[in-house]
Amino acid sequence: MIEALLQLLLNGAASGGVYALVALGYTLVFSVLGVINFAQGALFSIGGYLTYLLMGGRIGVNGALPGWGLPGGLPFALALLLAAAGSGLISLLVERVAFAPLRRRGAEPLLALITSLGAGVVLVNLLQLLMGAEGYAFPHGADALAGLPDVLVIGGARIRTIQVLLLLISAAAVLALSLWLERSKGGRALRAVAEDATTAQLLGINSAAMVRLAFFLSGALAGLGGGLIGVSVSLPGPYFGIGYGLKGLAVLVLGGLGSVPGAIAGGLLMGLAEALVPSDASGWRDALAFAILFVVLLLRPSGLLGRRTVEKV
Amino acid sequence: MIDNGLLVQMLLGALLGLSVYLPLAAGQLSLATPAFYAVGGTLAALLSTRWSGLGATADGGFPVPSLLLELVLGGLLAGLLALLVGRLVLRLQGIYLAIATIALVEIVRVAILNLPFTGGAVGIFAIPQPFHDASGYLLPALALLALAGWICQRLEGMPLGRAMAAIRGDELAARCLGIDTTRVKLTAFVLSAVLAGSTGALAAHFLNTWNARQGSFDASITTLAFVVLGGSRTWLGPVMGGLLLTALPELLRPVGNVRLVLFGLVILLGPVLAPQGLITPALLERLGGWNPRGSAEGRQEAQP
Repeated sequence: MIEALLQLLLNGAASGGVYALVALGYTLVFSVLGVINFAQGALFSIGGYLTYLLMGGRIGVNGALPGWGLPGGLPFALALLLAAAGSGLISLLVERVAFAPLRRRGAEPLLALITSLGAGVVLVNLLQLLMGAEGYAFPHGADALAGLPDVLVIGGARIRTIQVLLLLISAAAVLALSLWLERSKGGRALRAVAEDATTAQLLGINSAAMVRLAFFLSGALAGLGGGLIGVSVSLPGPYFGIGYGLKGLAVLVLGGLGSVPGAIAGGLLMGLAEALVPSDASGWRDALAFAILFVVLLLRPSGLLGRRTVEKV
Repeated sequence: MIDNGLLVQMLLGALLGLSVYLPLAAGQLSLATPAFYAVGGTLAALLSTRWSGLGATADGGFPVPSLLLELVLGGLLAGLLALLVGRLVLRLQGIYLAIATIALVEIVRVAILNLPFTGGAVGIFAIPQPFHDASGYLLPALALLALAGWICQRLEGMPLGRAMAAIRGDELAARCLGIDTTRVKLTAFVLSAVLAGSTGALAAHFLNTWNARQGSFDASITTLAFVVLGGSRTWLGPVMGGLLLTALPELLRPVGNVRLVLFGLVILLGPVLAPQGLITPALLERLGGWNPRGSAEGRQEAQP
């Protein structure tokens, strides 16, 4: 009984860690620009597929280049890192096309929501043209875990090693990012731009560079999440990231828009809540995040750890 | 090229475009249209097959008055849902409202997928047909569009429409002028839902099968593209956007399956290249002095 519960909690925490990654990505961009980058879900998909290709996976029969694949194949850790960086670079492209022109014109921030949604749709469908709509399983599976056993026994509970790795890697990424934001010069500069871009600019901080940095990091976090989910479950089709992107939104609101600790706590809570849905109601699990989102928006729109903002005229 | 079936689809697209336009005319970006469309369609599919049948015949026929009844009921149910949900979500603004409406679409989708009587992933099929072929649907679709367009046009001269425009301009200022902004926004939201619900009821018969995929996040994007392309300053914009963007992928079919890439590009580049969309008030004025605002006041402004 206790073992089963422990197993449930660990699984919940593992998917919660991935939700936290996605939500943190949203948070970085939101705190700097005050807008939500709806392309985040697409970048999640791209991270998953890049990891697959970098590990030596081949394109399926419905893709643009059937049977094509990179020669060789990188070990999981390196592939994951490069895939995250690749998603970060594509995120920079999204910033250039969907956000920068509107910002230059001083357009209403809500328009960026629409353009980034468009960027996401284009990216996911280009991915679909390239890779086909079919699902992919990772080429190496258990080998990728470099000699680790498939299943670990923790306190009597059997849990898949990849789930533990998932939790550890996302925890490490989240921790590193928080420390960087809190302690380093670059992190402080980013927070200064988030607080007040004009003042930061006057103090000699390159605001434009900080905006790009925020987009790169946020894309990399999404890509990391996509790679991790891809290895631990599979790649069920180019759209799989959209679902995680939408759930990340729910986590973002749950934690409080713009709050880093909120995104982390929200992610874990959401993962645990989903894990506790009984299996005979598993079809409803996907609605849980949005039901929670609704309740939070109604009872406490500033989220669990968000700042309450006062509307000014 | 354009056959009757495609024409009906185009009209349905125009109707959904109008449904996204209505809250937007009051300054509210709601992506909830597919949720209401799904609710109306599901109700019609259930009423004409599993529940009462409403006079469906054994050979798959269906009386036209029953279809009209379903349009009304689908609209009413969707409107009722909008009334309940709108009271809660319309307190939210901007990004929060957009997120809340996406959440509504997802909840409705998962509910239709999992409820015991909606047919699961397969959905409801063999929905009875009131007409012999696709051309029969032209008349009701056109009539619904004419009615919706007439209401939108009338709105612009009415206090409600003016209040909507005021809220769109500056919500706080509108409130200071004594406009009950919550009530106005709620009315626009409910109107949008009724329209989407009725459209769904018609679409369920036209499409012959109905499942949870009809009201997905994809559909939110598609319907949003209608408004972004056509423009949201006059009701003719979303109508044009819906007609064009529904027809275009069919006409481009030889190019391959690029439908969603196309929609994505429209939403991505539209606000940058043509912030007002294709149909702007200025354009309408140039095309023969027809005033989209439809009011005496507007005409005076046009000829100072």
